[in-house]
Amino acid sequence: MRRTLKTSAIALAAIFVVAACGGGAGTGAPAATQPAATGATSTKPKLDLSSYAYAIQTKGKLRVGTRESNVPFGLKNPATNKFEGFDIDVAREIAKAIFGDVADIDQFIEYVPVVSATRIPTLQENKADLVIATFTINEDRKKQIDFSDVYFRTGQKVLVKKSDNSIKELKDLAGKTVCTARGSTSERNLLALSPAPKVLTLDDYPPCLLAMKNGQADAVSTDETILFGLIKQDPDTKLVGQYFSDEPYGIGVKKNTGDRTGFVDLINRTLISMVQDGRWARIYKQWITPVSGDEKKSPDQR
Amino acid sequence: MPGEIIFEFPQQYLYPEGLWLTIQLSVLGLIGSIVLGILIALLRISPFAPLRWIGAAYVEFFRNTPLLVQLFFLFFALPALGIRFSDDAFVFNFRAAVLGIALYHAAYVAEVVRGGLLGVDRGQIEAARSLGLSYRQMLREVQLPQAVRSVIPPIGNIAIALAKNTALAKTIGVAELLAAGDYVEAATFRTVEAYLAVALLYLVLTLPMAAGVNWLEKRLLVAR
Repeated sequence: MRRTLKTSAIALAAIFVVAACGGGAGTGAPAATQPAATGATSTKPKLDLSSYAYAIQTKGKLRVGTRESNVPFGLKNPATNKFEGFDIDVAREIAKAIFGDVADIDQFIEYVPVVSATRIPTLQENKADLVIATFTINEDRKKQIDFSDVYFRTGQKVLVKKSDNSIKELKDLAGKTVCTARGSTSERNLLALSPAPKVLTLDDYPPCLLAMKNGQADAVSTDETILFGLIKQDPDTKLVGQYFSDEPYGIGVKKNTGDRTGFVDLINRTLISMVQDGRWARIYKQWITPVSGDEKKSPDQR
Repeated sequence: MPGEIIFEFPQQYLYPEGLWLTIQLSVLGLIGSIVLGILIALLRISPFAPLRWIGAAYVEFFRNTPLLVQLFFLFFALPALGIRFSDDAFVFNFRAAVLGIALYHAAYVAEVVRGGLLGVDRGQIEAARSLGLSYRQMLREVQLPQAVRSVIPPIGNIAIALAKNTALAKTIGVAELLAAGDYVEAATFRTVEAYLAVALLYLVLTLPMAAGVNWLEKRLLVAR
């Protein structure tokens, strides 16, 4: 306690000295106390005073809930300790809509790590302003939180060995053994197919890839974005058939009870302008194209 | 209502299906582990030293590595070595699970049986031998029957542990009781009920076993 007092006293004294040296101009003192705010003041977008975005702008931090190890969407790079990925770049564009187009936008972002199960509680307990973490929009979740428009769309697909020509589309799966992760949406989607394949459920997707290599499963099935990662691990595999589920990813925000005024609108306007001016396509090309091989201009392009 | 517990799920038929697989794994695994365990115990007390070493090596290997690792080895590694128990993945993983459970628990059964055999009074063995019984006759007529009494209660404990350890079979894709709980939890988000139901069904399986062990213990005590 004594130490803190001492430090504050020194800090106060320093401010007085700076202010005194600055003389009549009066710019010295604020610069010393709020270095981050000064440079950006002129470029900051004008926001409605009653909006939640204005409150964030005043506070100076946008709190972004995201995953730390979900390539290529959200990853805390162990080498640089910085967050990177598709979700992160979208979050940065939203931050720019609030704080202006500054070079180092991360100074205005506080990253809050989340996992699947903590995404909704993180918002409800007001630990983050938004959650962007491969978050599939569905009716159950909409009852608990608000979602932005779709910013990324994927679906379930089937992965087979490159040498396998017997499975070309979904109906070829009848009587075959398909591997997926236990307790996933993918498991339920497979069991709902008709005719239903035999579903082998293991704890995760890499064991499924191994089971397919061993000949214990004919195919692996889950969200296409996860299958991209498996193809990277084992290039001797290929994707077949059409999407058979729709997984629209949205940005989650706490339900507006008067304390989130206009926030989802601001996010949606940002997403629309990102698609229109090509920023979305550029982010897609940077993170998704290396694993998918395709290029897209908008989330709904199939 | 939050905190309310209701045992009604759209997928509840999965529980009896899972329980049935758990029972099959337990019964087959137990039979396998007892047969194999007695053989290993006989190796362990053999008068011929190399046989004793083989028995000891078996016990130390299977008792000192995790069952989970053994199951992964049987299911994921053996096919890479060209050994497969079946072309059908579901027959394959069931057989791998039964074999893994039997191999692992046989090490414990072997130690218990060895202790029982060594517990038989030395004088009786010498008497049987001096009466002209061969080693095999002596084992069959004198040593094994007396060992049975002292090994039954500890084998009962192993059987209960084995029944609970069958839950690990879900990691190689056997849709046993815990796997049924996982599925129901994922489909309903009712974590408390989904796993409470699993725990209660394990109790349905293991409590009668525990009662049986207690009863046998008392009976064998009286007989002695």
